Amino acid sequence: MLQTQELQVNIGPQHPSTHGVFRMLVTVDGETVVDLKPVFGYLHRNHEQIAEANSYLQNMPYTDRLDYFNSMANNHAYAMAVERLAGIEVPERAEYIRVLMVELTRILNHASAVGFMINDMGAWQTPLAFGMREREKILDLFEMASGARLMCNYFRFGGVVRDLPPEFIPNLRELLRALPAYIDELERLLRDNEILLQRAIGIGILPPEVALSYGVSGPVLRGSGIPYDVRKAEPYSVYDRFDFDVPVGKVGDVYDRFLVRIEEMRQSKRIIEQVLEQLPDAKGGHINPKARQNVRPPVGDAYARIESPKGELGFYLVSDGSTRPYRYKVRAPSFINLTPLADMCRGYKVADIVVILGSIDIVMGEVDR
Amino acid sequence: MPEMTPAELRARLAEALPAALVEAEPLAITPPPAHGPQPGLFNPPDPVVRPDQLVAAALFVRDTLGYAYLSDIAVVDYLHAGCFELVYRFYHPSGGPGIVLRVRVPRDEPVVPSLTPHWPAANFHEREAFDLFGIEFAGHPYLRRIYMWDEFEGFPMRKDFPRQGDKYLGGESEG
Amino acid sequence: MTASPFEIEIPRGRVIEVQRDDTRVRRGGGLLRGMAVVWKHWKESFKLNRSYSQIHGTFTIEYPEERPRIPEAYRNMPILLYDDETGHELCTSCFQCERICPPQVIHMTQAKDPATGKPVPAVAEFIIEYDACMSCGFCAEVCPFDAIKMDHEFELSTDDHTQLTVHKEQLLRPISYYAKIAPTMWAEVRESALKKLQGNIRRRPDVIGLAPQLTEKIAARRAELAAQAAQAAAAAPVAPAAAPAPAEGRKLTPEEKAAKLAAIRAAKAAQAGESATPAEAAPATPSPTPAGEAAPPADKAAKLAAIRAANAAKKAAAGEAPATPPAAPDASAAETTPSAAPPSDKAARLAAIRAANAAKKAAAGEAPATPPATPAGGTAADAPADAPPAAPPSDKAARLAAIRAANAAKKQQSGDGS
Repeated sequence: MLQTQELQVNIGPQHPSTHGVFRMLVTVDGETVVDLKPVFGYLHRNHEQIAEANSYLQNMPYTDRLDYFNSMANNHAYAMAVERLAGIEVPERAEYIRVLMVELTRILNHASAVGFMINDMGAWQTPLAFGMREREKILDLFEMASGARLMCNYFRFGGVVRDLPPEFIPNLRELLRALPAYIDELERLLRDNEILLQRAIGIGILPPEVALSYGVSGPVLRGSGIPYDVRKAEPYSVYDRFDFDVPVGKVGDVYDRFLVRIEEMRQSKRIIEQVLEQLPDAKGGHINPKARQNVRPPVGDAYARIESPKGELGFYLVSDGSTRPYRYKVRAPSFINLTPLADMCRGYKVADIVVILGSIDIVMGEVDR
Repeated sequence: MPEMTPAELRARLAEALPAALVEAEPLAITPPPAHGPQPGLFNPPDPVVRPDQLVAAALFVRDTLGYAYLSDIAVVDYLHAGCFELVYRFYHPSGGPGIVLRVRVPRDEPVVPSLTPHWPAANFHEREAFDLFGIEFAGHPYLRRIYMWDEFEGFPMRKDFPRQGDKYLGGESEG
Repeated sequence: MTASPFEIEIPRGRVIEVQRDDTRVRRGGGLLRGMAVVWKHWKESFKLNRSYSQIHGTFTIEYPEERPRIPEAYRNMPILLYDDETGHELCTSCFQCERICPPQVIHMTQAKDPATGKPVPAVAEFIIEYDACMSCGFCAEVCPFDAIKMDHEFELSTDDHTQLTVHKEQLLRPISYYAKIAPTMWAEVRESALKKLQGNIRRRPDVIGLAPQLTEKIAARRAELAAQAAQAAAAAPVAPAAAPAPAEGRKLTPEEKAAKLAAIRAAKAAQAGESATPAEAAPATPSPTPAGEAAPPADKAAKLAAIRAANAAKKAAAGEAPATPPAAPDASAAETTPSAAPPSDKAARLAAIRAANAAKKAAAGEAPATPPATPAGGTAADAPADAPPAAPPSDKAARLAAIRAANAAKKQQSGDGS
């Protein structure tokens, strides 16, 4: 019998497929992963401490910087938390606009998440460029509405900062016409690709019970076969008015998570179409006129969570009756989804680690906060 | 979709684990101002659990009540009241609103039994709480700092951590 | 574990299991299909496509040659607006933006009425640190006077970090500029903004609140007025500058207003000079101030001028301690510099103050010799009087003024020596 010795290898922090500065301390036995310890915090800026020194509204642009792919979703969760804390009503039109924006965010996030995952598999840039292409058009729409492509800062307590510009809806309709063809094409490009199948099927399996006990959320949880989606489980905003399906995986491997993301893009497109059907006219206003910039919520706490593209994003706020949050806590989906990384990687080869990490879809801005 | 109000949860807990519940006093978050409107007391309706009974209560919530999704552990530093409050948030996989368990530990001896050996979802939450607040989770298999570097001293999210300057940044340290 | 967490009912929708077929024959069919997609895109990439509804074709923009179409709401960095017609800034320094700014990069000081010392609804200095600005747009949102807006200019890269601390002069844009980049957004607020501005103009004395953007116009008019003032000064040296200011009241054009301020300052300086050294200061005053006034806040130039003036003053003081007359131009040169210093630049101001002190010392040193100087004072006055009024309003002006002042001092010196 050949004697083997375990070896510790550092992957990261500066590594092209660690999505930022993320280090994995991997114990390998030959090529096989025996153990893995994620090490992070390189991007830590104590976001929560900063937020506790700011007033409620001043935190809004900082939430953009958590998960910088999905600033709209972060805005939504934070705005909801403050609205719950201070008891602010949101006009209907604003709710629809919010849903619209978050669903667009989901499409662009999944498109680029799929692209980055394939990138990690070694298909350098081409699939990523396909993923990025429609993302650019969505970012154009964001720019029209909010004024910025990534750091949108579009939501306010009691609504959104300004109404949709007149050219927004026509452009969105154009984009919606392109989306099915685009998603089909992305799927045709990748779905049956033998190399991808080889790298994805049976890799990083997370069984449903394990997924649940690890508290993962979003496409990772659904890829494991648990149809838990906050939009369905605890409908917030106006999500209870839309018909959409929840895709789940069968096995819980990388391939399932990939397919779930592709399918979620289709469902998001369905939601956007229904939003456009039901969108109230501008009479209702896009922001609650009574909502003020200097909110001063009564003493108490509030928790709001949304189904962000990466999973369950929650904000826990405690108010001491002043204009600043006494406690501001982010429940970041990317961060919690990393918990089972060691279990997912154990027993696979070193080359699979980056693929598994890519399939979790993390953003270091949110992991490290 | 199962729904459970805090009062119902308290009743179920009192039935199953009579030793676990604590009658919690309403907290004054900040010292009351000398004049002007009083901010009021913080008195959440959720059951407050004794720290040593936390694991039993959490497992009761998971295995008997079916709230198998541990979503969040948030720590709040109530400096004026002299305690840390840990807010455990559970959801039912079938959906519906969540339930909350609270644990209060004194600031000078913040030790809470770890949930991680029984429920791995708590792992990173507890490490974060240890890193930023210095809550010690007894029984955690790998209680190391998660954001800050290992040599860092102090717990930056505590309310008495100096806001301006410290031994790393230099400058005056106040409060 | 729970009894059955996996039979979950979903309202308004189904749980769909993804379609996967692990037993698919792997013979390269999937690869070929993917290649077909790539091929189609390559083939179509020679066509230009600007439509959102098409997924093929090139829709990239050849950036530096071709400019992207920027939507109105686009926000990059904050700018300040001033009114095209009156030249008045819309900002009243209400500090709302400074308060809301999340990274705290906005700093401002309120303007004060020079006569009464009371605050005026206008801004004296306004600084935004562009390097730390996070472009959130809150400042534009909270501004009750619509004075601060978000610019569309995005090519801000520079190799000079200090340039990213932007002062009021560089922040100011005319309203017409903003109305061009964001027509509908301006149309929405136009009426109320202008109405509020009218109200604020009424509360602004003299030239406070005027955009320094109009320097050229102001300077041309100023030079003209200053020339008149100089002539008037030659005739009646003690009550000089107020005379040429042509119109009173609120209907002043910005240039006239500026000129009036210059005149007032000159008069003040004259009074101050008189009280200090009555003999020499009176004639020296009226003209140099406009020259200094016209100097734009090119701080280097101002600093330089101040240093030179100071040097000249020192030399003069050291050269002919007993002889007074030359001290007069020195004093005037020193007086030129403080006003040339932009209010923002501490260093320049410091230099100017030092120059003034040096000049004063020189003057004080010769205080006992004052009486004989009186006749010479008149001649000394001529030198600065004809030099500065013609000074152009560029940074050259300040330097030039200083040089001329120094030259005049030297001339006096040599004239005295002979």
